[in-house]
Amino acid sequence: MTATPSVLPDTHNRLNRETLVKWAPLLVLGVLLLLFPFFEWLEDFRAAKDHTYLVDSRFLSIRNFARIAISASPALMVAIGVTFIILMGSIDLSMEGTVSVCAVLFAFLFLGMGGTMGSWAILAIPGALIVGAAMGFINGLVHVKLKIPSFMASLAMGFVGTGLALLLTGGDRIRVEDEAFRSLLTVRWFNFPIMCYVALFGLLVAWFIQSRTTLGRNFYAVGGGEELAKASGLNVNRVRIMGFTLAGVFFAMGALLAVGRIGIAETATGNGFMFVSITAVVVGGTALWGGIGGVWNTLIGVLIVNVINNGMVVIGLPGWVQDGTLGLLVIAAVVLSTDRRAVSFVK
Amino acid sequence: MKLESLKPHFPWITLVVLVLIVGLINPSFFDPSSLILLVADIVPLFIMAMGMTFVIYIGGIDLSVQQLANVVTVVATVYLANFGVGVALIAIVIGAAFGAVSGYVTTRLFVPSFVSTLAMGFVALSMAKWLSGQRALAMDATMRNDSFGWMFGSTAGIPNELMIAGVLLTIAWFLQARTTFGRALKAVGAGELAAVASGLNVDRVKIIAFAISGVFAAIAGLMFSVKLSGGDANLANGFLLLAIVAVLVGGTPLTGGVGGVVNTAIGTLIVMVIRAAMVYLEVDATQQQMVFGIVLIAAIALTIDRSKLRGVVK
Repeated sequence: MTATPSVLPDTHNRLNRETLVKWAPLLVLGVLLLLFPFFEWLEDFRAAKDHTYLVDSRFLSIRNFARIAISASPALMVAIGVTFIILMGSIDLSMEGTVSVCAVLFAFLFLGMGGTMGSWAILAIPGALIVGAAMGFINGLVHVKLKIPSFMASLAMGFVGTGLALLLTGGDRIRVEDEAFRSLLTVRWFNFPIMCYVALFGLLVAWFIQSRTTLGRNFYAVGGGEELAKASGLNVNRVRIMGFTLAGVFFAMGALLAVGRIGIAETATGNGFMFVSITAVVVGGTALWGGIGGVWNTLIGVLIVNVINNGMVVIGLPGWVQDGTLGLLVIAAVVLSTDRRAVSFVK
Repeated sequence: MKLESLKPHFPWITLVVLVLIVGLINPSFFDPSSLILLVADIVPLFIMAMGMTFVIYIGGIDLSVQQLANVVTVVATVYLANFGVGVALIAIVIGAAFGAVSGYVTTRLFVPSFVSTLAMGFVALSMAKWLSGQRALAMDATMRNDSFGWMFGSTAGIPNELMIAGVLLTIAWFLQARTTFGRALKAVGAGELAAVASGLNVDRVKIIAFAISGVFAAIAGLMFSVKLSGGDANLANGFLLLAIVAVLVGGTPLTGGVGGVVNTAIGTLIVMVIRAAMVYLEVDATQQQMVFGIVLIAAIALTIDRSKLRGVVK
């Protein structure tokens, strides 16, 4: 009789923990959406101004949501790309370099072939996606064929990419001012610019790949247990290389949206994407160990990161707080999503 | 003679060959006075790479070194007026603290080191931006010379920077080769599970390794800020790649367990010679990062011990 209670609470706790981990990201997002208006209310309350909680919030306005969506769109594409890799239990840190190269080459191609969407220049868009795929493919080859751990292979490839972008531009900024291309930002449907819908489309494509294709299922198989996947006849190396290639395509999408957002392609276009996207994926609840999570988690993660960044500006916190907050957040997210009994040691 | 048995000698052979090639291209490379200046110039990088060696030696990575150096440049510049030489102590404490927290998060909270150090790097960046008010700050020249002028003079024709590098290398070498901690480090690097099984406090060893990396990054940052007479949240950017390259081309593989700080000294010299060669060959400075990225991939591929990866490379 004494043995039973010691087993039962354990199972109970485990269920609780899993449920908590699964819903935590959405919960965090919800809390944030209520928290920032609360700070606004508090400020106005102190200043004895008239302010009804939530209703008078500048943060909870369509205009501000559009702002959050605009900054989240390129990051979402990049984060989705790296989601596939993290699902396999690997990591891709090459996004900054890949995004920069894709952005710069896109701009060169676009301007070189006419510079308007009505001409052949429109081919620069698939061109950029191919460049992204090629860079991801090389990244995957270096990782798989040279047997270099992915974090280091991709980090090195990222350095090469940033270097290549610098070499191509010579440090210059390239302006892409075509009105039709910039309509990604300037034309709005239902208050949200077109780029948000493009990102949404990308998300749906990623969801399709993840849930409705063999490749998507293979990502989970590799992440869930590589030895097992190998033993059951899966060509794991091929899946890995295809994963990195796919990630490269999504990085290129991110690059296109990033150029569309600011109208400039330069070496620095990719700056900051590494930390934001890794943070978003992890905070969204995709486990670094692989096999758990997916693109919808990443959507939540990207929204959390961008809501935090935006909310901090709205309530008047200085910009430097963001970096540190995200740093602590990512550690907290990894800690929360790690089942410590399943991990022997960590490098 | 097997290739494997030659492996430990690769780094210095590479160095000698590179030096000879560069010397052939441009004989003025061997001019002692300019050579000494060239070597002295790379000292901050060497110090940073030396700290990184400890972390890579145990099979981890420290991606926070460049941000740590950044925050120290700001701290040194802001507090030079108040504490004088004392800012060196503050810098070391900051470095040790950040490193130890990274180590703690990695070992006790099971966060892979590339994520924990990346995250701690952003915490450091926050601190640097806050302290500097996101501006480039300048040191007061007299105060700088009073407190840290000794760093950049020269004694008997040898730049003091080289002396500092020599002292730090001796300390690091002593730690690694002549102390119990050094033996423990070797045990963890060679096989972590075996080290745990034999009763070693592996977590403590790893936390100390990260703390050492932090301290060395901080010293590098301090030297950098004194040299450039200022501080900025982006001052040391670009050092991370070179530091990792220096460790790896020196022959401390990503899988850890072999190599060490003397190897990193050779690795740093290789980086220096490559940089010098690029100047002589009139390779544009913008290509540096690409070249070193490719060198990095080659170095990892050549040095990594694949038998330790146990079939699965994530």
